[in-house]
Amino acid sequence: MECACTKQKSDLSLLAPVLAEYASVRGSLITILQKAQEIYGWLPVDVIYHIAEQTGTTPARVLGVATFYTQFRFQPVGKYLIMLCDGTACHVNGSAAIAAALREYLHVENGGTTADGLFSLSIVACLGCCSLSPVMMVNEDTYGSLTPQSALAIMKDIQAKEAAQA
Amino acid sequence: MRIAVGQGSCGIAAGAAKVCAALQEQLPPNVKLGTVGCIGMCWLEPIVDIYDDDNTLLHRLVRVRPEDAARILKWTQDGEDFNIMDLIIGKDDAQFLTQQTRIALRNCGLIDPESIESALAAGGYSAVGRILSADSGMTPEEVIECIKVSGLAGRGGAGFPTWFKWNAARQSPGNEKYLICNADEGDPGAFMDRAVIESDPHTLIEGMLIGAYAIGAQEAIVYVRAEYPLAIRRLEHAIEEARAAGYIGKNIMGSDFSCEFRIKAGAGAFVCGEETALIESLQGQRGMPRLKPPFPAEAGYWNQPSNINNVETFANVAWIINNGGEAFAAMGTADSKGTKVFALTGKIRRGGLVEIPMGMTLRQVIFDIGGGIRDGKAFKAVQMGGPSGGCIPAELLDTVIDYKKLAATGAIMGSGGMVVMDADTCMVSMAKFFLDFTAKESCGKCVHCRIGTKRLQEILTRIVEGNGRAGDIELLEELCLAVRDGALCGLGQTAPNPVLSTLRYFRDEFEAHIRDKQCPAHSCTALLRYGIDADTCRGCTLCAKKCPVSAISGTAKNAHRIDPDICVRCGACYAVCKFGAVRKL
Amino acid sequence: MSQIHFTINGKPCVCEAGTSILQAAKLNGIGIPNLCNDESVRVYGACGLCAVEVLDDGRGRPVPKLLRACSAKAMEGYAVRFDTERVNQARRIALELLMSDHTGDCRGPCQLHCPAGTDCQGYVKKIAQGDFRGAVEIIKEKIPLPASIGRVCPHPCEQNCRRGMVEAPLSIALLKAHAADRDLAGDTYRPVPAADTGKRVAVIGGGPAGLTAAYYLRQKGHGVTVYDAAAKMGGMLRYGIPAYRLPKDLLDREIAEIERLGITMKNNVRLGSDITLEQLRQEYDAVILATGAWSSMNMRVPGETLDGVTGGIQFLHDISSGEGAVPDLTGKRVAVCGGGNTAMDACRTAVRCGADKVYVIYRRTRSEMPAEEIEIAEAAEEGVIYQFLTNPAEIIGENGHVKQLKLQIMELGEPDASGRRSPVPVEGKFEYLDVDLVIMAIGQKPDAAGLDGIQLTKKGTVEADESTFLTNLPDVYAIGDATNRGASIAVEAIGEAGRCAAVVDSALRGEMQPYRAPFYSRKQVTAEDLADREKQPRCQMPVRPAAERRQDFAPVSPGITDETAVREAKRCLECGCHDYAECRLIRYAQQQEIHPERLDGVKNPSEKERRLVCIERDNGKCILCGLCVRICDEAAKQGILGLVGRGFETAVKPEFQNPAAVEICRTCKKCAIACPTGALKILTE
Repeated sequence: MECACTKQKSDLSLLAPVLAEYASVRGSLITILQKAQEIYGWLPVDVIYHIAEQTGTTPARVLGVATFYTQFRFQPVGKYLIMLCDGTACHVNGSAAIAAALREYLHVENGGTTADGLFSLSIVACLGCCSLSPVMMVNEDTYGSLTPQSALAIMKDIQAKEAAQA
Repeated sequence: MRIAVGQGSCGIAAGAAKVCAALQEQLPPNVKLGTVGCIGMCWLEPIVDIYDDDNTLLHRLVRVRPEDAARILKWTQDGEDFNIMDLIIGKDDAQFLTQQTRIALRNCGLIDPESIESALAAGGYSAVGRILSADSGMTPEEVIECIKVSGLAGRGGAGFPTWFKWNAARQSPGNEKYLICNADEGDPGAFMDRAVIESDPHTLIEGMLIGAYAIGAQEAIVYVRAEYPLAIRRLEHAIEEARAAGYIGKNIMGSDFSCEFRIKAGAGAFVCGEETALIESLQGQRGMPRLKPPFPAEAGYWNQPSNINNVETFANVAWIINNGGEAFAAMGTADSKGTKVFALTGKIRRGGLVEIPMGMTLRQVIFDIGGGIRDGKAFKAVQMGGPSGGCIPAELLDTVIDYKKLAATGAIMGSGGMVVMDADTCMVSMAKFFLDFTAKESCGKCVHCRIGTKRLQEILTRIVEGNGRAGDIELLEELCLAVRDGALCGLGQTAPNPVLSTLRYFRDEFEAHIRDKQCPAHSCTALLRYGIDADTCRGCTLCAKKCPVSAISGTAKNAHRIDPDICVRCGACYAVCKFGAVRKL
Repeated sequence: MSQIHFTINGKPCVCEAGTSILQAAKLNGIGIPNLCNDESVRVYGACGLCAVEVLDDGRGRPVPKLLRACSAKAMEGYAVRFDTERVNQARRIALELLMSDHTGDCRGPCQLHCPAGTDCQGYVKKIAQGDFRGAVEIIKEKIPLPASIGRVCPHPCEQNCRRGMVEAPLSIALLKAHAADRDLAGDTYRPVPAADTGKRVAVIGGGPAGLTAAYYLRQKGHGVTVYDAAAKMGGMLRYGIPAYRLPKDLLDREIAEIERLGITMKNNVRLGSDITLEQLRQEYDAVILATGAWSSMNMRVPGETLDGVTGGIQFLHDISSGEGAVPDLTGKRVAVCGGGNTAMDACRTAVRCGADKVYVIYRRTRSEMPAEEIEIAEAAEEGVIYQFLTNPAEIIGENGHVKQLKLQIMELGEPDASGRRSPVPVEGKFEYLDVDLVIMAIGQKPDAAGLDGIQLTKKGTVEADESTFLTNLPDVYAIGDATNRGASIAVEAIGEAGRCAAVVDSALRGEMQPYRAPFYSRKQVTAEDLADREKQPRCQMPVRPAAERRQDFAPVSPGITDETAVREAKRCLECGCHDYAECRLIRYAQQQEIHPERLDGVKNPSEKERRLVCIERDNGKCILCGLCVRICDEAAKQGILGLVGRGFETAVKPEFQNPAAVEICRTCKKCAIACPTGALKILTE
């Protein structure tokens, strides 16, 4: 029986400062996982095992917590994480059409990442910008009053910017 | 002169940061540029306020674009109104604010959320000063009594009397107690908590300090959604400022009262709005609700006596201490005191944050303040209370806003989400939307919620997809009642509400979907049929050209026809017809 | 601690203050249903099965909501009930929800398809362990005549055996016959009847149905008398099945075993002429009609009354009742009309009577024949000639005796309701066959003689309620071929008789419990799911050469050895859940009528994994009570098991740092022991 953590090789030293600060503070598991995700962009399995070991708990417990919350990802995400809001107001104002347009344009399903690694699409619960619905966030930037066309325009802008940089 | 740019999350999303940057670039030396939070007039964002040196509001400019910066700044120099006339808020829109009574939102959009001086100037921390005053201070019991007199009830949804919870936590034996703020605002369609934290974090901190003093807690924790990065940043900053100013930490304002503050970011789980699940999450565990009893007041965070209130509840506390419980209780109805903040969204003309005294009618909020339905369409229903609430139909628009009166309609006060829907909204589809949500957010612990919401969602899905079966309505009803009575926590117990309330008022829509395979709102794609009205059709051939599957036949200048067997219901013909000849059947 | 006094279902209970209702019930010897509670871990409150209603809170008021007994504390003066309609309803829907996402595979397809519900997997396992006695005990819980049934049953169990998707089904019937033969040969297993109840039951008809009803009613302590019109007991087994398939001495011995339980058997008593139904009703507390279906159906063609035309059952009966005297058909040409097992019995019997040519006239083709494949094949081996796609149109006679059969040529048309392609006559196309004897074996129907006052169906069968087996007359029950849909296979009659016996027993004890089909959680399995199974050939039943066996009525097969039986039994895939007897979920589910199918929807995948060395986990059976996770965490202090994901997709998964960590599982196993269903199975190494 092979231990799953042996396949992944992440640089665990990056996590040392986080563990130094929080490992012995009770109830800090979610905080540690959040910081780990900030570092790695996602939660590789060896990181999860490492956290379990360093915090004196078991991998099953860490994985149980991590998989409970939607914020945590177990696969690498694209450079741009699109969080399309599907809260009530956005839903009433047509977020489904925008989701369909993005899926079609990017050839990616909810939760997936484009082949070029540029975009990840995540349909999320209310972002709390209901009066600008429909809304999406691309990394830290929020875009409101979307239409399928304007959403695609934003995608194309990012693609153009990336192409220019490359 | 001072220019303040509203920079809450939604203002920024609308472009406020760019406006601010443009103003900064060309800022004359005699003009100060500042940030304020969200005034709540979201449909007018970005909003720029211009104050004179006496802090009097000269102009409120709306829907400002970065390219407007030059003329705005020019106005600050020459005062020529006609240059910015088109930006000044209209009279109608201005009424949005004048009809409100703002307590929880009293400083929102008016002060700089990143400056404790700004908060202090608006009276911040004066209530803490009052209770901790060495000679004329208040005992914790007096604070609780004051809150009791005010009639303040939990604004997060349940509407439980705040004083009762405080008292229970105070009475619980133990020296280690915790005060927790639930800022895990998860109801889709509600965003007042975010607005308060982003716009006026010190009011929250002050309310929490008073609560901590009342119950005897030495530690206060704010559990904020991770999806609110700006709120977290501003709150972190405010806590640092308050600590530096001596409002947080040991011996606050020279008294015996000490209190530490911490922020914990949630990680995305709606169920953590349930207080025992929130505690589990705070302890770094899966956010699965605990059995009650014991209640958190007896055994909460790390099994110590704990009290949890939401942001809006705390935002009222300092005002009540300063103005007296009676002043708060003077507003509202016999059962519901004070004011309530609503997030008015959906197909509404003026969407944003509205704070009104209890006792107003829904009609007043939606039509007088909100301006009614956008695009002149007919009002159909308002959804209140999100996934735990229900829909209220047009005939009940005169219902008074009051915990009991709203509950009698089948909806709830909830946290204050008010999503307005017009005739184009399919109510079955709305019920499905909420069950999609709760089924996805169910923690999976208890059978009724884990499997029950899943089955409800599956039945609703088949109905909107045209596969509803005879008996499905009865099955929905039976299952709803079983889930309501059998689920472990509030999420599951209230999850059937959106179904039950739509069944109550819009049963005919369910029947039309199931029996006639029709969606009366013409919204469910699977049940939609497009047809061309032969009298209206001019035979322009545009629809036939646009149709991706060549389902439309007809010759130029003659009426066209759609073959329903080929049609994939993409709606391209409907969108392209200039004569309104393509109809949804 | 102060004492709390309260009641549960009316029974006074005492406990210490602060005790949960569930715990208090247990202390007072009452078991409130629950699935997620265990004393070794903290209260969880997930399953919702322990809902109770408090009708009086001690101050004369009811508690409005149902309470979870696991968390609600017992309070002074509480009147707690968990048997009210409201509680039952709540528990029912909780069980329906659980079952709608449970792939239990409670019982193997063999048992599910056995009309008598025999625990085939159970007795096959005993045989595999060499415990033949144990096997017979299990068989006889459902079948009192296993040696006979093992030989004559068309075994729907085998047709549905999943081993058939690997290579060939298990020889279940053969194993049954073998175990029963050994039993009869040695120290025969005999159940001990319960103490006499003083109630008396009359059973009319000593065939498989009547004998079975008598067998089980006698075991319950009732006095039973079986009446039969024939000279000997056995009904169709004796008179409708030829000796080469079922040796009569074997049947005699099995019937003698039944009689030995203390059952009175009266032969040569015909209902209507020797005794009336009314007399029996006067004399007995209950009467069970099991009179069978003894009249052959007519083909409704001209010439049926000619000399030399007989019914299939008639033909077989005459031979069997002749006590070994066999008609001489040497040089005769015989046509048997029909494609069922009776037709096969008739044609093979005709062969053994020396007939020159034996034809089977069947209007469809071989693949549509309802008879068992082995019978069809063995008949062919013995020289029977099949005339497929032909149908008798007329029996032509000469001097009042059969001379010729006019056959309509048929072809196959569209499939009918049964899914078989229906035969259609080819207009104007006929064939003629010279014959001396025509045997009509197209079906049987009951004879209504003596059934005075009994309501009959349109088909002329006795109308009996499907769940109480009652006829229109009080305390008169009816089972077997004589009832409702008419004649069927013996094991069907046996199954019905067993269920009827339970109903009659309950009625005699004062409260009739109608039969309710037990709920089982099922699983669909495909050949793909079994692709990894090693192929092991099915044991072949040894048969005597056709040329030899066609000469006599001795058994076609001499039977198998113990070694063969054990080897064959070991082929069993053990499909049914290993935990069926212990499973609390199925126990609760069967206590009331549930219909989870109305909540059918997506189910969590039914996958098995063996990461925990000595424990196999079946995700499809997991009900997420969390006991394993909590016990691993709280009681075993290991934390190897965890919940992953949330909501409907939540799953229990083991996760561990290094393989050595799970070695502890070998000695612990607490999780598997606590599992209320069969989701965790301890593997025997």
